[in-house]
Parts: sequence; C-alpha cells; structure tokens
Amino acid sequence: MENLLTYENVSYFYQTKNDEIFALNNVNFDVEKESFVSLVGPSGCGKTTILSLTAGLLKASSGKIILDGEDRIDTNKIGYMFQKDYLFEWRTVWKNITLGIEIQKPKNKEEKLAFAEELLKKYDLYGFKNKKPRALSGGMRQRVALIRTLALEPKLLLLDEPFSALDFQTRLSVCDDVYEIIKSEKKTAILVTHDISEAISMSDKIIVLSARPATVKDTIKLNLQGETPLKKREDPTFASLFDNIWRQLSNEKQAKTN
Amino acid sequence: MKNKQKQINFSKSHKAYVKKLRKDKFWVIFFRIFILMAFLGLWELLTYYGVLDPFFVSSPSRIVAQIIQLAENGTLLSHSWITLYETLIGFAIATVLGYAIAVILWWNERVRKIFEPYIVVLNSLPKIALGPVIILWVGAGTSAIIVMCVLICIVITTMSMLSAFLSVEEGKILLLKSMHANKFQILFKLILPNSMPEFISVLKINVGMSWVGSIMGEYLSSKAGLGYLIVYGGQILRIDLVMAATVVLCILAFVMYWLVSLLEKHYTKNR
Repeated sequence: MENLLTYENVSYFYQTKNDEIFALNNVNFDVEKESFVSLVGPSGCGKTTILSLTAGLLKASSGKIILDGEDRIDTNKIGYMFQKDYLFEWRTVWKNITLGIEIQKPKNKEEKLAFAEELLKKYDLYGFKNKKPRALSGGMRQRVALIRTLALEPKLLLLDEPFSALDFQTRLSVCDDVYEIIKSEKKTAILVTHDISEAISMSDKIIVLSARPATVKDTIKLNLQGETPLKKREDPTFASLFDNIWRQLSNEKQAKTN
Repeated sequence: MKNKQKQINFSKSHKAYVKKLRKDKFWVIFFRIFILMAFLGLWELLTYYGVLDPFFVSSPSRIVAQIIQLAENGTLLSHSWITLYETLIGFAIATVLGYAIAVILWWNERVRKIFEPYIVVLNSLPKIALGPVIILWVGAGTSAIIVMCVLICIVITTMSMLSAFLSVEEGKILLLKSMHANKFQILFKLILPNSMPEFISVLKINVGMSWVGSIMGEYLSSKAGLGYLIVYGGQILRIDLVMAATVVLCILAFVMYWLVSLLEKHYTKNR
C-alpha cells in the first residue's frame, strides 16, 4: 500500500515568553493508506503537536510533511477529532453534524448533506436527528462528533485521545464503534493516546515517541487476531506487546527524571 | 402532564413527598403575602391612631388616594411615561452599544489590551460624578438623563459580554479552525450563540441599572418624570407624593424585569 502521510526529518520549536521549546526532533514516520496508526509517548512529549502540524494548524520549523503525494497540507483532506466532543448545545444533532458543510459551503453541498444523512442512518443516530446534544449519552455524543468529522469526507482522520473523557465501560464500546466506522468508511487514521492497550487493540502500527524533544523511538507493526478492538485484546501476543511498550515508555520517564 | 400523573400509580412515600412539596410551597407563598399585609396593616393602624405622624411617614390609604388622584388628572401617566421612555431608550442604547464594543474588543486583542485600563477605571468611577459634565455637554433634560442611564449600564454590559466571549472553550475554536472557519464564522457560529445565557443575565442586570440611571438623571436635572415627582414631593414636604411615585416605580421596574424573565424562560425552553 502507498503512503498517505510521510514525515521526513520534521522538527518543531515553539516560543514562550521565557524560552524557546524544542518539541519535535527529526521525526520520521509514515502512514499507509487505510491503516490505523497510534502515537504513544510520555505525556507532554509533543504528540498533539504532531497532530496540529498534520492538520495545518501549525507549521513545521524544518523538514517535510508529505500528505497524499503533496509537499503541503491541504486541510480539506484532514478531519480532526478532539478529546471532548465539543458539540454545540444550541444546535440539533443534525445542525452539529452539518456544521463543517455550513462553514465550507462546498459546491456539491447537496451531495455532502445526503452523505451526512446516510451516515446518521447507518450509525443509528437518525432518530436523534432533531434532538439537542444533551439528550445523548456520552458514547452517542462521541459518535456524533465522529460523524461530524466524517461528513466533510476527509482522507486522514486525526484522533486526539477521543475516548479519554468517557468512563471505562463506554470507552470500550465507543472504541469498537469508532473502529468499525473508520474501517467501514475505509479511512486512514492517526490516534494519539495515553492508553497503551487502546493503542494495541486498535492499531495496525504503533509509533513510540521519546520524551521531549520527541523523536521516533520505535515503530511496531501489529497483526492481532480479532474483528474488533475488544476481541483483539484477547490475542495471545497482547500482553507481551503491552509489556514492551510500557517498558519503553517508563524508560523514557526515568531518563527524563534523571 | 396531569393526565400522565394520574395514569401512574405512585407509591405512598412518593405521594407523601409530593404533598410535602406542595405544603412547603403553600407556606412560602402564605408568608410572603402575610408579611406584606402585616406591614401595610400595621402602617395603616399606627398612622390612623396617631402613633406615627402621617405627615412624615404617609400611610397606605393616603398613598392609594394620591395615586388615584394623580391618575385621574393624567399626571401619573405622563410622568410615568417620561421616565419609562428614558429608561427604555437608555437600556436599549447601552445594551446594543455595550454589546458591540464587547464584540470589537473580542475581535482585536491589541485593542482589547490597550483599552483594558480605561474600562477598569470607567467601571470603578461612580457615574453620578459625571452629572455636571453631562449637563454641560448635552444640556439639561431628557438627553442628559438618557446619557446618564447609558453610562451606568454600558460598562458593565461590555465587561460581562467580553468575559463571556473570552470564556469560550479553546477547543471549540480549534474545532472550527480545523474546519477552516474564518473569524466571522467563529464569531457568529460559536461566540455569540455560546454567550446567550450571559447575555440574558446582562439584560436582567441592565433592567435594574437603567432605572437607577434614569431616576438619578432626573434627580440631577428634570422637569418631569417619577424621579422628578419624588424630588419635588420631598422639597415641598408631600411625603404622600414621594411614596406614590415610588410605588409606581416599583411596579414598572417589576414589570420590566418580569418581561426579561419571560424571555429567559422562552429561551431556556427552546435551547
């Protein structure tokens, strides 16, 4: 499979009042089309910075980011999903989902609206179309947030700890839902997470980052048995993978404190 | 709603609970009315039997008689209308202008930083101190009163709205930015609708403040209005007139507050 996204020696500094912070140091990785890649690393290492760079919200200080064969970020190809669902309480579910279409006013607006409606039907939210977000459960809200992202038909989905605000039970089932939706829509996704088991259960590839300035410490390709993330957790290699990543991360933490 | 309640068989404990709620509500309303009645009754009796001198404290019956007299010769309506007019105009100008300034300050961070100390000073300045200056500049009369009213309301409107605009979750702005929204879209699709609850509470504050502004303005310089009646009554020692004007003022202010709370109810229902 060809790559949808490639990072070539990407470095990034940002300025604060007292300091210049070296966030990313020669980061190299690639993301294949229709694959699911997770970024894990010690907290504050710059995972979210990578997503912001990929989304075009920040500009790399040096190096190349190649998206879909182009040396520049076409933000129309990116869909960003955040930690919180950020649904607008004063809009109905439908108005929330079509927010992006409303903002971008694309030429094929009718098609996009029809697609959004189809997504709602497909993922069991059509009955809530005209409800306000507060009528939804946490898991449903996160599904609405995902459909809002998908409605713009991005090629690459950026997921910034999208499950961290949910309780554990909901988290597992929403994880399955989101995984299924992303796979059935044939999307490529990058997930940033603190949760190692979540990364293992969802990903085709895990990129382990070092402490700041972040560089790629390890790239682990996965091929676990199981249809859903929950099933994949039962794979016999799961425990040793977890152990491996956990060790790498805790080494980083120690290195940082020393 | 009532039909629904009948269909469901509530448990005994729930019935007792509902009964207790109703009882509580009854007693609250009962005491509200009781306190008012007791106050008015005592006032009337004490003045009737000469314990208090109605010349200085007036009495409920004299206030009512005064209001009726004022209503009959038409002065009540004309004075009330003038004050109401000043208050409403002041309220409207202050709200619209204060809101617009808040939007400008939200839009431009540099402008915001430059004007911050000025706004703080203006906020802590007692606006009545500007009275003579206002009269000198815009002339005595209705326009001075409206300016006073606007000055009293506008700073608090701007400050409250600006802090509401700035308290929007950063992530929601980032979400719109990731959809390539421009600043106009961020303003109209997020900032303004998101700050509606604060806007309604600003309206509520302004109802009270604009009455303060117009009455204070009338104290300062006026030839008509409820504030004028109060000052005039005080000067010629007609406490009945002072009290009558105050009662009418209370009623008008309450009606205006009630209208805003109706708006609030309508809004929270449709939210």
